[in-house]
Amino acid sequence: MISPELIAIVMFGLLVIGLFMGHPLAFVLGGTAVLGAVIAGKPMVLGIIINRIFGDVLDNFTLIAIPLFVLMARFLSDSGVTDKMFESLRLLLAQVRGGLALAVVFISILLAATTGIIGASITVMGVMALRPMLQYGYSPSLTAGVIASSGCLGILIPPSIMLILMSSYSPLSVGELFAGAMVPGVLLGLLYAGWVTIVAIVRPDMAPAVQPDEKISRGALWRMLAVEAVPPLVLIIGILGTMLAGVATATEASAIGAALALVIVIMRRKFEWKTFYGALLETGRTSAMILFIVVGATAFTGVFNITGGLRAVQDVMRGLDMAPWMLIAVMMFIVFILGAFLDWTGIVLLSFPIFLPIVQEMGISLLWFVVLMAIVLQTSFLTPPFGYALFYLRAIAPSSVKTSEIIAGVMPFIGLIIAMCLLVAFFPSLVTWLPENLYGPK
Amino acid sequence: QQSWTMTSTWPSSLELIEMDKHFVDLANKLAGDEVKIDFYEGGSLVPAGEVFGAVESGTIQAGADWPGYWAGRDPAFSPLATHASLFNAVDYVNWIQQWGGADIYNEVYGRFGMVYLPYTVTNNESGFRTNAPIRNTADLKGKRLRLSGLEQGQLLERLGGNQVSMAGGEIYQSLERGVIDGAEFSTPNVDYSGGFHQVTKYWSTPGWHQSSSVFGVMINKAAWDALSPGAQEKLKIAADATMLWSLAFTEKRATEAYGKFQEAGVEITRMDDETLAEIQTIANSVIEDAACASPTSAKVYLSQLEYLNDYKSWRDASAPFNLGRTPNGPDIEKIRACAGQ
Amino acid sequence: MLIRLIDGINEIVGRIVSLVAIIFAAMIIYDVVMRYVFNAPTRWAFDVTRQLYGFYFIMLGGYALRHQSHVRVDLLIEHLSAGARRWVEIAGYFIFFFPFTWVFLTRSIEFAQRSWNQGETTYGSVQLPVYPLKIAMAVAAGLLFIQGISEVLKLVLHKEAKNDFA
Ligand code: NA
Ligand code: NA
Repeated sequence: MISPELIAIVMFGLLVIGLFMGHPLAFVLGGTAVLGAVIAGKPMVLGIIINRIFGDVLDNFTLIAIPLFVLMARFLSDSGVTDKMFESLRLLLAQVRGGLALAVVFISILLAATTGIIGASITVMGVMALRPMLQYGYSPSLTAGVIASSGCLGILIPPSIMLILMSSYSPLSVGELFAGAMVPGVLLGLLYAGWVTIVAIVRPDMAPAVQPDEKISRGALWRMLAVEAVPPLVLIIGILGTMLAGVATATEASAIGAALALVIVIMRRKFEWKTFYGALLETGRTSAMILFIVVGATAFTGVFNITGGLRAVQDVMRGLDMAPWMLIAVMMFIVFILGAFLDWTGIVLLSFPIFLPIVQEMGISLLWFVVLMAIVLQTSFLTPPFGYALFYLRAIAPSSVKTSEIIAGVMPFIGLIIAMCLLVAFFPSLVTWLPENLYGPK
Repeated sequence: QQSWTMTSTWPSSLELIEMDKHFVDLANKLAGDEVKIDFYEGGSLVPAGEVFGAVESGTIQAGADWPGYWAGRDPAFSPLATHASLFNAVDYVNWIQQWGGADIYNEVYGRFGMVYLPYTVTNNESGFRTNAPIRNTADLKGKRLRLSGLEQGQLLERLGGNQVSMAGGEIYQSLERGVIDGAEFSTPNVDYSGGFHQVTKYWSTPGWHQSSSVFGVMINKAAWDALSPGAQEKLKIAADATMLWSLAFTEKRATEAYGKFQEAGVEITRMDDETLAEIQTIANSVIEDAACASPTSAKVYLSQLEYLNDYKSWRDASAPFNLGRTPNGPDIEKIRACAGQ
Repeated sequence: MLIRLIDGINEIVGRIVSLVAIIFAAMIIYDVVMRYVFNAPTRWAFDVTRQLYGFYFIMLGGYALRHQSHVRVDLLIEHLSAGARRWVEIAGYFIFFFPFTWVFLTRSIEFAQRSWNQGETTYGSVQLPVYPLKIAMAVAAGLLFIQGISEVLKLVLHKEAKNDFA
C-alpha cells in the first residue's frame, strides 16, 4: 500500500495533468477520484463516491438556490433593465472625468446586489459599455479592466451562488455569509470607483471626459434614472431585504427573485415565449455545469479523505508551526494560485475540508475567514490562464482589443482586491459588524 | 490485524460525537491488537444520510448512528431509536440487556447485512423551544415545529401542529427568522451548544415526543464475521461500558445546560400531568397505528411492551425508589394481533 | 448515425428537463404564499422541491456535455496542432471521463436497486418515496456515459458538434 503523502501528491498531479489536457474540470475531478482509489489499492472505497454525490449534491436543499439565481440573472438581462440604467447614468456622468468607467462600476454594484452569478453582468456591460468607451478614447486596458473586474462583484456582493455553496459546505448559515460579505463587497466596488477617479485625474488620456451627443435636461435625466432604478430596487428589497430581515430563506428568496425578474420582463413588454424557453435551456446547461463540478469535487474530496491524503496535507500544514496570521496568509496565497487554474466551485470544495478544521482549531472566526477567502476568489475570475471574466470579455470584445491588453487591464484591479483583503485582515469588523447587528454576536 | 474505517452521523460540532469517540477509544484500547478502528467525524467521508448505505454496501466497515434516521427503509428503526412518551433511558437499557432487545436490533439491522451494538442511551429530550409559550395542547395548534421522526410527526399532527423536517444545521436560522415557530433538537446540553437560547424565549418541558433515545454503531456483517469471537466480545464490552458512561455523562451535562438556559433568561415551563395524560392517549393510538402498518415495527413494539408489562409488578412495588414510571401505554393485545399477521 | 442518435436523446431530455426549473420555482413560491399569506404551509413542498431540483440538474449532465458547456482550461492545448489537440482530448476522455462515468453508472445502478428493493421513503410524517430520485441518478449516469461515447466518436471521425435541433 502506498503512503497517504504519496496519494496526495498523485491525486493533485493527476488533477493538474487533466486540467492541462483541456478536459472538463468536473470529469477531471471525478476521474481523479476513481484513479486515486484504485492506485491507493482501495477500490472498495469507490462506493462513497455515489453516497457523496447523492447526499451532498442531489439531496441538498440549500443548492436549489443555484439554478434559481442563474434563471433570475437570465430574466433580468432579458428585461433590458441594465441597458436603460446604464444609459441614464452614462448621460448623467458624461462630463465627469472617467464618467463612463464610473457608470460601469456603479451599475455593476447595483446589478451585483440583484444577481448571484458573474456572466450576466459582464456580458451586459461588455455589450453596452465597451464600444462607447473605446469610441470616446478610453484606453482599451482600462476599459477591459473595469468591465471585467466590476462584473465579478456579482458573486461577492450578496445574493451569490458562491456564498450559498460556501454555506452548504461549512457550518455557517447563508444569512450570516450574505451579511458578512455585504460591506467588503460594496467597499471593493467603491475602491474600484476610487481607482478609476485617480486614473482619470493622473492620466486624462486614459479616461477622458466626453460630451454626449444627446442633450436632455438635468431634470429629465434624474426622472429617467429614478424610473429605471425602480425595478432593480424592487429586486434588491425582494431578495436581500426579505432574507436579511428574516422573512424568507435563501431558497425562498431565490424563487421570489426569479419570479420578480420575470414580472419585470413582462411589464416591460419584453416577454416572448422563444426567449423565455431559451432562458430555461441556458439555465439548465449552466446549472448542470456548476453542479457537476460539485459532483466531481465531492467525489475527489471523499476519496482524498478516506485514502488518508487529507490528513497528510493537514498534518503538513499543522507541522509548519507558523503564527496563525502567517498560516492564514499561506492559505490565501494557495487560494490565489489555485484561482489561476481552477474554477471557484472546485477551489471551495477542495480547500474547505483542508482549511476549515485548522482555522477552527486556531480559534479564528470562521465567518471572517470564509469571507476573506470569498474576496481572494474574486481574483480567480481575473487571473490567467483560467479566468471566467477574461473568457467572457474576450468573447465580446472586438479583435482590436488585444488579449494582452485585457490581461494588463485587470492587473491593477487584482492589486485592489489584494488591498481589500489586507483591509479586511486588519479590520475584521468590516466582515463581522453587519452580521452581529442583524443576528447578534455568536 | 483488521483495519476498520468508521464514521458517524454527527459532525464534530455536536456533542453527540463524544459518545462515538468514547466507544472508539475504548474499543481500540481493548481490542486494538486485533482490530484497529480509524474514526472520521460525520460528513467527512459520506453525508449523514448515507452512513447506512456506506456500511450496508461494505464501503466502510462501521458507522455510528441514531437508528431513527433509517425509518424510511424500515419503520421498525423508529422504536429502536426512540419513543413517543414510552421508554425512559433505563427502560431501554433493561430491555436491550435483559429482555431480548439486543437480539432485536441485530435482527432488524441483520436484514440489511449489518450487526448493531447499541452504546449510548440519553434520557428525555429537552422539549420544544419557541417564542410563544406552549403550556398545553391548545398552544400547539397551527404551530410549525421542527421535529424529526415518523411517529413524532404523526403525534404532533394529531395534536394540531405541523411537522417541519429540517437538518440540524438549519434550525437556528429558521427560528431566528420565524420560518418555524419552534423546534426540538436534542438534550439540553446539545441544544445549548446549538445556541437556541439566543433565538427562543420559551422552553416547554418535558420532551413527550421523544422520551429517551438510543445510539450505537452499525457494523458490516462480513467485517464482523472476520473477527475472532474474542475480539467480538471485547467490542461488546466496550459498547456496554460506553452505554453506562453515556447515561451519566449526558444527565450531568444536561443538568449543567438547564442552569445555563435559566441564566440566559429562557422561561422554562413544564406541561401539567393532565396535559401529559392527554398526549399519552394520542401517542398510544399513533404507536398502535404505526405498529399495525408494519409487521417488523409491530414485533419491536410488542417486545418492548411485553418488557413493560413484565417489569411493571416489581417496578410499581418498589415505588418511590423505583426507576421511572410504568406508562399507561398502548394496547398490547392490539399490537400483538398486528404482529401475528 | 450513433452520434445522431445519442445527441438526439440528450437533446430531447435536455429540452424537457430544463422546464422542471419552472415547476420547482412555482412550488416554492406557492408554499411561501400559503405560509405567509394563508398561514397554511404545505406538508409536501419541502421534500418535493428538493427531489425535483436533484432530478433537474443530474439529468442535464449529458445535455450540457452535448453542448460542451462543462468548463475546461483550453488555453494550453490551444497552442497544439489540430491533430495533436484532438488526440489529447480523446485521451482525456479515456483517462478521466470513462473511468468516472463507469463507476458512476455501475455503482448508482446498485444504489438505486437497493433503494427500490427496500421501498425506501423519507422518514417524517409525509413519507415520500426516495427511489425515484435514485433511479433518476442511474439513468442520468447512463445518459452522461453515452454522450461521452458520442463526443469521442466526433473527435475520432473529425466531426464538429453539429446542432441538429437548434
Ligand atoms: Na450578487
Ligand atoms: Na483565474
